[in-house]
Amino acid sequence: MFGASLSRWTMSYFTAALCALLCAEALMAAGVGFPSQPLVAPLTLVLVHLVAIGWLSLLMSGALIQFVPVLVAKPLAHPELPVVALALLLTGLGSLLLGFLGMAGFSVGSMPWLPLGAIGLAGGFALNLWNLGRTLWSARPVGLPARFVAAGLLSLVGVVMLGMIFSLTLGGWTTNAAFLRLTSEGIPFHAALGLGGWLTFTAMGVSYRLLAMFMLAPEAEHRSSRIAFLTGTMAILVILIGGPVCLLIFGQGVIPPLLAALAGALVSLALYGQDIMRLYRTRKRPKIELNARVFAWALGSLGLAVLLLVAVAALGPTDRQIGGVVFLFAFGWLTALGLAKLYKIVAFLTWLECYGMLLGKRPTPRVQDLVDEPRAMPWFWLYFTGVGAASLAMFLGAPLVFRGAAFAMLIATARISFELVLTRNLAAVPRAMLPGGHRAWPRLHLPIL
Amino acid sequence: MTQASRELDVRPILRSGGEPFSAIMQAVNGLGAGQALRLLATFEPVPLYTVLGKKGFDHAAREIGDGDWEVLFTPQAQAASAQPAPNGVAASGWPEPVRQLDNRDLDPPEPMVRTLAAVEELQPGEVLCALLCREPVFLLPELGKRGFEWLGAFEADRTTYKLLIRKGAQPEAAQ
Repeated sequence: MFGASLSRWTMSYFTAALCALLCAEALMAAGVGFPSQPLVAPLTLVLVHLVAIGWLSLLMSGALIQFVPVLVAKPLAHPELPVVALALLLTGLGSLLLGFLGMAGFSVGSMPWLPLGAIGLAGGFALNLWNLGRTLWSARPVGLPARFVAAGLLSLVGVVMLGMIFSLTLGGWTTNAAFLRLTSEGIPFHAALGLGGWLTFTAMGVSYRLLAMFMLAPEAEHRSSRIAFLTGTMAILVILIGGPVCLLIFGQGVIPPLLAALAGALVSLALYGQDIMRLYRTRKRPKIELNARVFAWALGSLGLAVLLLVAVAALGPTDRQIGGVVFLFAFGWLTALGLAKLYKIVAFLTWLECYGMLLGKRPTPRVQDLVDEPRAMPWFWLYFTGVGAASLAMFLGAPLVFRGAAFAMLIATARISFELVLTRNLAAVPRAMLPGGHRAWPRLHLPIL
Repeated sequence: MTQASRELDVRPILRSGGEPFSAIMQAVNGLGAGQALRLLATFEPVPLYTVLGKKGFDHAAREIGDGDWEVLFTPQAQAASAQPAPNGVAASGWPEPVRQLDNRDLDPPEPMVRTLAAVEELQPGEVLCALLCREPVFLLPELGKRGFEWLGAFEADRTTYKLLIRKGAQPEAAQ
């Protein structure tokens, strides 16, 4: 009942995340990693972790720091902790990437980069987990969207623990037999928990609330949403607990727990898709804004990625197919979702930051006045065209076409990022409507309060 | 029934630049039935009166020198619920609203803008009633910052959020 205010560090997370995405796209355009190099090459690992941690996880963490208090109407337990976490995450990521570069044969010095990276990342994620977990705990009983987030955070615990084990093992700090087995075979668990549990399941929970909020749709909890939550959580637990048990105690491979989790995830995603379509149908807002439109495309990519995943699982996967599905999942679904939501969230947070105190006291611009949707839309089209072409190139094994498509994605992302900068600078607001009457270049990409 | 009051001194937290809200809420949640909280702070914590008022606490404040304040939060005799609903307002002595706003069908954040514009016109002690389609999480802190008191809850149908806002007698005190 206390309400939510602006999170001081969210914009810093977003800025760091966008920089990581631009770097990753530039590397892809330059031919670093799969498909120019093997799927398990160290340079592919550089790329994958730049995207998964640098872009997606920082984006999600920044968004959660702002929106978990909105979901549960309680203030963040420790408002200043996110900056410490961000510093640890960035140094951890830097060390991890240096470690992978070392594995690829680059001269990076003799520091134990991989274990150091794992320690930094584990520390950063742990601080955010503690902060968000305490905030959720203080608001019990929480609604369904917040329970999705809690399950996503549980998944993140698994991702971080497996990542720690891999790094300590690869860095030569441990020769424990169980850790060795997990490192050699457990990578699919790490990826599924990260992309599926942590990023997708959390995004699903947040989108239930945000989409309803932005489109003025009723927020009633449906049975389908509860089943989507239960089956998704089961899928997470099957991998988190069943995966290592299957591997280490029963000596089975990774396939049985992965297939069991996939079955749960399919039910969860199908019901989620149905819920979101209901939200679109029952919305009161007649005009669909850019963020909701792009979200619908992203959801389409998710559906396509899931269908391809099932087909690939049935036919027996090859590296190319795995790469293609994971790429579509990371860029067609999660990245597109992230860019679309950033477009809305940055405008809203900027509006609230600059005009919150003035609302009702003098005329203020609307949130929509801070953005120029017709100008931004073609760049989202270009982005999706790039993702489609790049996915196809991956499936067909055409690295040069892939690099061209990645370059198109880079251009589109850079332009969308520039639109966000313009929004933060209040570039579209007439001078008379500026908060102090003049165009102060506000604390744009650093702490916002 | 009456127990000795619990004391919480948040002055060290405030002096070190920290935010004592969570410590205060922890202390409040840890109070026994009928137990009062004696709070020591480096300023008069006016916004807290609204928050704890809604949790069913009356307050009595006095300055204790060097700019420090002591506030005694005592549970109201009738405070049966920590989550008061608008229909409990009559018992807490709020007057009938002078104005009604139906913001349920407006695009966000228009409900927030309209509500804040309307409350600026309230006279001290007057109450405004706003109907919304969801809990206005970003509006509530803004009302607190401007020194307004509010009571809000969903109606029984869970689709309409009814928010009552009262202009305090000395709104500037909240600054």
